[in-house]
Amino acid sequence: MSEADYNPLPVSPEADHSAENERYHVFVNLALALAAITGVELVLVYLPINTVFIFTVLVSLSLFKFAAVIAWFMHLIYDKLLLTLAFGTGLAIAAGTYTALLFIMSNEYVAPPEIPGM
Amino acid sequence: MSDSATHHEDGHKSLIIDNKKLLMWLFLGSDCMFFGTLISTHLIYRKLNPEEFDPTSMFSLELTSFSTFILLMSSFLMALAVSAMHKGQIKSFRRNTVGVIFFGLIFLACQVYEFTEFAHLGLTLESGTFGSTFYLMTGTHGVHVAIGVFWLICMLFYSYTGKMDAHESAVDVEVAGLYWHFVDIVWIIIFTVVYLIEFIGKV
Repeated sequence: MSEADYNPLPVSPEADHSAENERYHVFVNLALALAAITGVELVLVYLPINTVFIFTVLVSLSLFKFAAVIAWFMHLIYDKLLLTLAFGTGLAIAAGTYTALLFIMSNEYVAPPEIPGM
Repeated sequence: MSDSATHHEDGHKSLIIDNKKLLMWLFLGSDCMFFGTLISTHLIYRKLNPEEFDPTSMFSLELTSFSTFILLMSSFLMALAVSAMHKGQIKSFRRNTVGVIFFGLIFLACQVYEFTEFAHLGLTLESGTFGSTFYLMTGTHGVHVAIGVFWLICMLFYSYTGKMDAHESAVDVEVAGLYWHFVDIVWIIIFTVVYLIEFIGKV
């Protein structure tokens, strides 16, 4: 089949082009914001300021980037709630795993237990 | 089934979600647990053995930041490729997909270069818990990127067969896009918690 035979693809009648065009601007703005945030993160670690403050800002920026990509690039805000729940469940379990491991594997906890009579 | 296709003729929204899309989101949820465990393991062992290894002498923030930027831009192109497919613009889809593949390959090349450098400097899988957890985590992510690149190359070739259907293919491209964006968000977390945080107060 030649290129002209199927290019462009037959568009489904229900395709909403105006929504896609609006999303294009959102994607461009988001890409610029993500690039800028990555630059800010890089600069932040070189600044001689409070380390707790830098840590908090870095984690916050990272979470913002994470959420922004999921929401807009992955279309989650335009999709059904069920998809958010499907992904959110995995995310919650992953976060729970880290929290649980953090407590279980703390230095105090892994210390050898006292055995009675020894 | 696309979003717009979930509307009945009488204008009421249905609860139908495309099976492929739902399955991909469920897979991504489970992959989240997988990467959550790998990242957690690395961070916990880092906390337990802070003196074992100082990665700041080895890590190159410039290179990793460049990799991160490349992956973010590939995500942008992927979003454009999905959008183009929804509009039936096959040429635009191909152009953007080639960009994503190119950026994905650059990311992989950076990772291979980084691993080679680290190995020369003495950090290997057997050199301790830091090496084991670091290579396992970033290596698994790299494998995911490689699978994504392979998947997109297949889609690109498929687009030249003339068998692509506007509706079904839009869903297929969207599913591939979800996978690619997921690879990107995992790296966003790894970049911060594994690389950047190590440098706080040390440079």
